[in-house]
Amino acid sequence: MSPAFLARRVWAQLRGEVLVLPSRTLAAAWVAAVLLLPLVLPDPYVLRVAAMTCIFAAFAASWDLLAGYTGQVNFGHALFFGTGAYSSALLSLRLGLSSWIAVGAGGLIATAIGLGVGYLCLRLRGSYLSFATLAFPLILIGILFAFPDFSGGELGLSGLQPLAASRVGNYYVAAGAMLILVFGIWAFADSRFGLILHAIRDDELAARAAGIDTTRYKMAAFGISAAVAGVAGALYAHFMRGAGPSTLETALSFQAVIWGVFGGLATIYGPVTAVFMLYPLTEWLGSFSTFGELRLLIFAVVVLLVLLFMPRGLTPWVRDRIETRCPRCKQQNPAWRKDCRICAAPLRLSGAALTQSPR
Amino acid sequence: MARHFLIAAAGMLAAAPAAFAQGTIKIAVVGPMAFVQGENHWAGAEMARDEINKAGGISVGGKKRNIELVRVDSNEIQSVPDATNAMERAITREKADFVIGGFRSEAVLAMQEVAMDNKKIFLGCGAADAKLGANVEKNYERYKYWFRVSPLNSPDLGRTLFAVLGSIAGQVRADMKKETPKVAILAEKVIWTEAIVKAAHDNLPKMKMEVVGLWQPSPTATDVTAELAAIDRAGADMVFTALSGPVGIVVARQMAERKMHAVAFGINVEAQKDGFWEATAGKGNYVATLDTYGEVEMTPLMIPFVRAFKERFHKSPTYNAATYDAINLLKTVIEKAGTTDANKLVPVLEQTQSVGTGGQLEFTKSHDPVWGIGKTTGIAVQWQNGRKVPFWPPQVKGMQKFGFPGQT
Amino acid sequence: MLQDILVTGLVNGSTYALLAIGFSLIFGVARIVNVAHTAFYMVAAYCLYTLLVQGGLGVPLSGALAVVSVTLLSVICYRLVIEPVRQHEAAVLIATIALALIFQETVLRIFGGSYLGVPSAIDGVAHLFGIAVPKQRLLILIVAGAMLAGTWVLLYRTRFGLAVRATANDLEVANLMGMNVNRVAMATVGISVALAAVAGVSVAPVFVVDPFMWLAPLVTVLSTVVIGGLGSIHGSVIGAMIIGYVEAITVFALPQGAFLKGAVALSMMVIVLLVRPEGLFGVAFEEER
Repeated sequence: MSPAFLARRVWAQLRGEVLVLPSRTLAAAWVAAVLLLPLVLPDPYVLRVAAMTCIFAAFAASWDLLAGYTGQVNFGHALFFGTGAYSSALLSLRLGLSSWIAVGAGGLIATAIGLGVGYLCLRLRGSYLSFATLAFPLILIGILFAFPDFSGGELGLSGLQPLAASRVGNYYVAAGAMLILVFGIWAFADSRFGLILHAIRDDELAARAAGIDTTRYKMAAFGISAAVAGVAGALYAHFMRGAGPSTLETALSFQAVIWGVFGGLATIYGPVTAVFMLYPLTEWLGSFSTFGELRLLIFAVVVLLVLLFMPRGLTPWVRDRIETRCPRCKQQNPAWRKDCRICAAPLRLSGAALTQSPR
Repeated sequence: MARHFLIAAAGMLAAAPAAFAQGTIKIAVVGPMAFVQGENHWAGAEMARDEINKAGGISVGGKKRNIELVRVDSNEIQSVPDATNAMERAITREKADFVIGGFRSEAVLAMQEVAMDNKKIFLGCGAADAKLGANVEKNYERYKYWFRVSPLNSPDLGRTLFAVLGSIAGQVRADMKKETPKVAILAEKVIWTEAIVKAAHDNLPKMKMEVVGLWQPSPTATDVTAELAAIDRAGADMVFTALSGPVGIVVARQMAERKMHAVAFGINVEAQKDGFWEATAGKGNYVATLDTYGEVEMTPLMIPFVRAFKERFHKSPTYNAATYDAINLLKTVIEKAGTTDANKLVPVLEQTQSVGTGGQLEFTKSHDPVWGIGKTTGIAVQWQNGRKVPFWPPQVKGMQKFGFPGQT
Repeated sequence: MLQDILVTGLVNGSTYALLAIGFSLIFGVARIVNVAHTAFYMVAAYCLYTLLVQGGLGVPLSGALAVVSVTLLSVICYRLVIEPVRQHEAAVLIATIALALIFQETVLRIFGGSYLGVPSAIDGVAHLFGIAVPKQRLLILIVAGAMLAGTWVLLYRTRFGLAVRATANDLEVANLMGMNVNRVAMATVGISVALAAVAGVSVAPVFVVDPFMWLAPLVTVLSTVVIGGLGSIHGSVIGAMIIGYVEAITVFALPQGAFLKGAVALSMMVIVLLVRPEGLFGVAFEEER
């Protein structure tokens, strides 16, 4: 197995699987950009913003699994983020665990909370579920404030050690974790598991009638979503060197919802795109003194405009422009192709084809 | 031809800030600029910069350099990560030499980490939490670049409170015609009040005052009817407050609406602001609180500073305007040390005693301002008929008398 | 202490009820979760502040103008922003969140972040059962009662109310029966926001006015409506009373736990949701297709 052979194999795969579709090419380009960023722009400020973006992207993607795929529109997703942040901080500070173990344990504790919340929400539908989930982070904040010696009260916990020694190292930790988590969720969502979640979202009664144990799948969705959000929270805490009540804020939960819907529900890559577009943009606006103070306003107006003109979200709208689906084999094709790359059926009916009798 | 000109022009423009940077000392003012705290941060800093630059600037080893301010909106009230991003931007992008400001304790803790990572001197002008100073003692090599200029840390604020209380206790007893007046403690359930509440429980009985109960609303509570009703029923003569959020306005207003005879004294941050009278719709009479600035001669600099501030900005300074003192402090130590190198300035700061506008500024081992009469204590003020009237320390020039509801 | 709890619970509960009625109405009829409901309430409070304190108009005129302008604003927002995305429930949620943020930031720009106070319409304290109650709060109680009665009359004694109830019951059949469902939805939005505006105008003198004043009431309104049952008007009123009393009991019984009153109210909501997901008086809707 010579390196030249491997390189040719990789290139063949790339050309055959990735470069055939514009959306996959964009995704590959994005992965490359994320990994190569420190080489192009080693500026610590840029890397800080980029690391935050990666952490929030994982957070938003986890929300989409729950809300977009399973239809459980969670208005309190910050609960899992904050739980991950606080528990990993407590384990690091009080028990002296190493940061890596603390992050993992934080994710596990968040998963447990997620399963608990999922269990409580089993019987709730639609808006009722949204309101209940809105309440949970606020209840947790109340509990944390009641035990200030344990939780640090309104200040939170501070003095954590970051996971890596340098800014570049910390960035790669965040980016690497994000890529693993996001592609992991996407793999889950794109599989039969995701299909069942869709079925539950569209008509839970019918899914149950078809023999699907909806309870198990809903709990699984909550668990996975909470796990990813919890790990994101733990990474955030170690990057910021502290975890405070701001990790449980309603504003953060609302952000997840906005990113999810702006990017496109039930896509996973949609919210990730939204975070990568909106977070650096709002940060950049913030650096101007006149615009800076208007940035939340501009953000809200942009979101509103996208909603009005692209109600399914940004990425589905873009995807519809650059790709078409083959009518026969249902596979995606670049929009400029005349016939399907897999089954060779014509992608668009031309005038002549319309007058022909069906074959 | 045009292309060459453009490139040359671009080159000059790119070099210009670098040229300025060598000439000026850049001080980043980091605060929530859309809110009153950030406005005061910036206002105090502007006053200091204009005064110093007009007098020729700061002398660094013989060479005079002007101060250049960088205005950085931390947005800390709404978002902690925004604040740390802003801090990082100020230091690495704007290449600030020093950072001053900060307000929300949770955010300042995170911003402190960023400044310490970059070994930049960070002078706090807003967060009272003791942890910021405790970090310095716990890990000196990392946190030594942090100094708190204003306010006093929470436990020291408590010491001022009891000094004032001791002063007016006699007046309280005489006016209430009681040997042991009853005091109700109304403190937010947050970390910074814990030390003060405990000190209250310890000290009040020693001052011959009876503690009739402790009520702890949330800082953003919009209704304290229940607490006030219970306080009324307990027969309290004084309500000892430790409030920093909008609940301070609600308490004042509802106490007046219920025509309570108890007087409110303690810490009430909202009552320090000019807008308090209007916010309580004119009902905040006799509310007393600790404060920092007034037209009183705590130091020779306070009255001229307060007057100049009011003339320029048409409002009174809050404790965040201590950025003025922070910049003057930097000037003093830079000129003494002859350098802007942070590592060389830290020991100089630790040894310096300077006359500020708020008090005599000197630092403890945790880099907090030293507390004491003649050092830094703050003042106490009371709202009387729409005006904030300073009444403590009584021996200082400009102080007036404390009043009670029921008196004219 | 019992009288304290009774009176405080009643007065605070009626404040929440005033806010909750409108929210419940709009959800029951138009299936719109209007996250900006309390944001309209905030805008009304600021309008009142501008007209009363800065403009110097009297209380009745300022109040009326504030309510009317906010109602108009809501109708405009509905046409421009909500109607186009009505089909997608998630999009409506985001649109109303974005709208609320726009209101918040605009108000922040214009008025700044400091806390403002609005003078009471009626000063002074009345004594109910030996408890001192500020007269403004009694006014709120009376206004809430009047609004409730008015809404009831509108819904149950007018043809328009019949259309509203029919639309709430079954949207498709109402459409088939010839009712202009869109017009009904729009009118319901207007009425609902008018109720929120009235709440804003009555309550502003009692609370503190700042650009973030819409967040805490939002959570309370959601709890109220959930406990009472989405879509049920009298359910919302009862839910509001329950929350008002739970909060009063928490604060009176646990003076050191007063800061917990928000968390306690929320926990109540969660408990009710777990035991009876459709709320106390809500109707468990069949899965709508």
